[in-house]
Amino acid sequence: MNLLFPLSPLLVTGFGALLLMLTEAFGTPRVRAAAGEEVVDAGAGRSGELALGAAVVLLAGAVLSVAVWLAGPAASPELKLLEPWLVFDGVALFMSFVLCLGGAFTALLAGGYLPEHQIDRGEFFPLLILATLGAQVLSASGDLLMLFVGLETMSLAVYAMIGLRRGSARAVEAALKYFLLGSFAAALMLFGGALLYGATGHTDLRGIGQAVASIGQPESTVNAGLVLLGLTLNLVGLAFKVSAVPFHMWTPDAYEGAPTPTTTFMAVAVKTAAFAILMRLLLTSFGDERAMSWGAGWPPVLALLAIVTMTVANLIAGRQESVKRMLAYSSIAHAGYVLIGLVATMRSPIEGQASVMVYLLTYTVSTAGAFGALILCGSRGAEAVSYDDLAGIGRRHPAAALVFTLFLLSLAGMPPTAGFFGKLYIFRAAIDSELYWLTVLGLLNSLVAAYYYLRVIVSMYFREPAPGAPVATPMRSGLVTGALVLAAFLVLAIGLAPATPLAMALGSLTGG
Amino acid sequence: MTSLVQAWPYVAAFLVGALIPRRQSRFERFSLGLVALLSVAFISSLWPEKAVEAAAEAPSEWPHLLNFIVLLPIVGAVALLFMPRQSPKLLRGVTLTILAVDFIASLLLLRTPMTDGWHFQYVREWLPAFGIRYHVAVDGISIWMVVLSTFITPIAAYASFGSIKKRTKDLCFSLLLLHGAMLGAFVSLDLFLFYVFWELMLVPMVILIGIWGGVEKIKASYKFFLYTMAGSLLMLAAILYMVWTHDQLEGYPSFDYLALSRLVLPKTAAYLCFGAFAVAFLVKVPMFPLHTWLPDAHVQAPTGGSVILAAVLLKLGTYAYIRFCMGMFAGPAYWAAANLAGLAVGGGILYAALVAWKQPDIKKLIAYSSVAHLGFVMLGLFAGTQAGIAGGILQMINHGISTAALFILVGVIYDRRHTRLVSEFGGLAKVMPIYTACFVLVTMSSIGVPGTNGFVGEFMVIMGTFTSPVLGSHAKLQGGLAAFGVILAAVYMLSMVQRTFFGPLSNPKNQHLPDLNVRETVALAPLIAMIFVLGLFPNLFLERINPSVAGVQSRFMSSMAAFRSQHDQDPTRAVMLPRPSGKLGAGYPEDPKKPAESAATASAEEIQ
Repeated sequence: MNLLFPLSPLLVTGFGALLLMLTEAFGTPRVRAAAGEEVVDAGAGRSGELALGAAVVLLAGAVLSVAVWLAGPAASPELKLLEPWLVFDGVALFMSFVLCLGGAFTALLAGGYLPEHQIDRGEFFPLLILATLGAQVLSASGDLLMLFVGLETMSLAVYAMIGLRRGSARAVEAALKYFLLGSFAAALMLFGGALLYGATGHTDLRGIGQAVASIGQPESTVNAGLVLLGLTLNLVGLAFKVSAVPFHMWTPDAYEGAPTPTTTFMAVAVKTAAFAILMRLLLTSFGDERAMSWGAGWPPVLALLAIVTMTVANLIAGRQESVKRMLAYSSIAHAGYVLIGLVATMRSPIEGQASVMVYLLTYTVSTAGAFGALILCGSRGAEAVSYDDLAGIGRRHPAAALVFTLFLLSLAGMPPTAGFFGKLYIFRAAIDSELYWLTVLGLLNSLVAAYYYLRVIVSMYFREPAPGAPVATPMRSGLVTGALVLAAFLVLAIGLAPATPLAMALGSLTGG
Repeated sequence: MTSLVQAWPYVAAFLVGALIPRRQSRFERFSLGLVALLSVAFISSLWPEKAVEAAAEAPSEWPHLLNFIVLLPIVGAVALLFMPRQSPKLLRGVTLTILAVDFIASLLLLRTPMTDGWHFQYVREWLPAFGIRYHVAVDGISIWMVVLSTFITPIAAYASFGSIKKRTKDLCFSLLLLHGAMLGAFVSLDLFLFYVFWELMLVPMVILIGIWGGVEKIKASYKFFLYTMAGSLLMLAAILYMVWTHDQLEGYPSFDYLALSRLVLPKTAAYLCFGAFAVAFLVKVPMFPLHTWLPDAHVQAPTGGSVILAAVLLKLGTYAYIRFCMGMFAGPAYWAAANLAGLAVGGGILYAALVAWKQPDIKKLIAYSSVAHLGFVMLGLFAGTQAGIAGGILQMINHGISTAALFILVGVIYDRRHTRLVSEFGGLAKVMPIYTACFVLVTMSSIGVPGTNGFVGEFMVIMGTFTSPVLGSHAKLQGGLAAFGVILAAVYMLSMVQRTFFGPLSNPKNQHLPDLNVRETVALAPLIAMIFVLGLFPNLFLERINPSVAGVQSRFMSSMAAFRSQHDQDPTRAVMLPRPSGKLGAGYPEDPKKPAESAATASAEEIQ
């Protein structure tokens, strides 16, 4: 029964969450109660240590994912016992690494952000780890039911993380909006899954795939119309989670209303997990020749989705006055680029999938860094939100502005950062699949995107705050600084030496 | 002892520089002497006899020389981040030292005689699965671009340290990073590497314009950034398409310039890819009608930024056009040359000259004159003859030197009066005689008076245009109009000089303007020396340029013929031309032993 090691990324996060919950519940709060009130939250005032604990758990998850990857999932035949419910293959391990990394960044950022803005509530961290666990399960699931379990584990925890700031109407609005729309999407997916089961008699993705592939053969009894409806509903549900246009309406409000670390988590981990399962669903269940063809399959739908997503999100992002909201729209736009990579799996499946995986990694480090830098630039009562808040930061706090610039350049896809390599690989995969116009549209979109990223740089370096205007003062937090240093290192390292992540992504697909 | 005797010109120059200026501290005298010594070293290292002798003594080329030249400023820029910003003197000193060391290192390049082929070549695998290599080398064309940038950037830095006092750290960081990126773009022979350096230039230049620029600086920096980025993104798509085609034909991807230049693309794709590359480069040149960012950028940029922008950054566009457009897309480039040459003459040389004539702002006038001068460069390249291309390259160097000098001179009066409007001045010759002399001299060089550098380049370009077979029946007309453009250049420059420096001293604010100070003189002196060296001894430059140009030109013609014959047979197929033999064959990427995918798996297995 040698299942402990290959499953350790999941076990570590699962047990880590429970352990942290106990630590939080049985500790003593570190804040003094106001007159006539009682401190009910045992984790209050202990964000620093809890954050460190959560970060250690999640980094351990990331390291173990790599360790299992290096040992090779094939080396543990016991993993087959879990199939078809959990498919713990190279791709799932790679995604698990990315998810744990995103979660660890969130934990570190939250450790600085929550006490600074006096929403110092201990339950954030167990919830964060549980959400990451859900995301890991989601990205590794090979069965529609498991998929739903993973999705709900992740989403329920995130709903609570958004509404952490109970006193703020905006946060409550954000949580409610995300909760309602998220439940709606989950319901659609559940219904879609039921239809697929009805049509094919399978809930496991591979079985569905075999049934779908048999459509059109004379002895097949599969109802193609039901399959189509089921696929559409599943696509819509996942498009909600990756916030592709036109299913993105909740994103800006939820991202803006949520505490920034939660926003980071939603932008990186939730999106990565949703893309991982979308890729698995499409390539496993709808990966036969006809379903992947341009004329009769899903690629044109995704291509259209990609174009609309990139274009709309980039155009709206350029008009934002709040940097946080701009980053929300930019994360929508990045979903569009990833969709290009998914479309590219049509003709070159290996390249396409590898490009999506590498892109999600580079996107995770740059987005987590950008939100982290935004967190760093603000402090209590003087949170950096709008472009004007950032005016003059480049002169007053050069180090904060420098790392922010680095992450923005990476998001804009400028060499020699990680973001450039991610984009290059996506577009290369698209060209390899002869999707020329999609590539050109994607590149033109990066130009629009470059404009609004540059706007932040312009505010930081070229403008000075208007006289008398409130200025953002950077906070001091070792945890946030640590997260930023780690992210900056990764952005530069992946940008200058992309061979390792590239080999890992390719190796996950070619039986590594 | 003999070496000491041989070194007498350097010693003399040092002494002259150190002893002549009055009222200076010892440290300043020492640095002035050093500048004089460096100038003399530069000029004397240009003489080929010396170079040949040295080559006979030390024929080996140190392979890391180019890496050193390119990486030193970039590493220096990063190191600068960790220095205290409260001590601007230290920052300036470090920056100037790095730039001076880089300049001396680039002089070592000149000791090797430039034959056709690649020199100082250095190749290393970077990302084998993608076919990306770190591949740098120089030939007779890019060596001058390298020397031009290492020569101009220290001057620009020195000049801007005089007028910019705030945020020195940001300034030094941007200058060094920009310098390294420009040098990298000039020497890289791998398209990925080239693209990385090409994009790396953008941000420091935007910072130079945006922080220390004029009133409209933010608009100007956006415009510069977005124009250039739009061009380069299209280029990226074209690069990826070419790499993919290479992969289809040879079984492995390669970003290497030498490999991709043997590629003959299908007809439509070839024209589209040429278009994408050409737009990227012509935006940078900038050629009419893509030039509208340039006047804004120049007028808003501080003096040092303008100098680098005009003298070096714009050359990247023209250099890249020779190297990449003519080198990789000979067929489409040949096809488009006549029309583009018409655009260069009509929109560049003539229209920009007329616009320059009507400018009230001196700096804007010089900016438009840059568009006109680069029209000459591009005309020479489009003409595709030996004289035309060589003249174009010489004109690139000339333009770098005379425009740098002009921008420094404009910066001088801007520092004193904070205006650059011609109408504010008049009769300056009476209060600033030395300044006027310098300005008139540089003006002469800019309009191409014989004996100065401008003459040789323009003459060769016009000569090459007349005899060009590429331009066909319009060659004579275009050559004639270009010659008329030289007259227009004299009209707009001289009318500005006349209104600014001569006539009565009408504006009372100008009555007590001080003449050139030591810093400004030091910045100008090497440039003025070079104006004469280039004007009187153009052969020093042409001797090294010509073999490479002959190679470029014959390859241009032969791959154009290959393009045509291939498309007569089958315009929808891509083919690879055979590898050239001899020296030119050096540096081609070896075929990987396995196709890319198995190589990637192998490296993945290695990790396991």
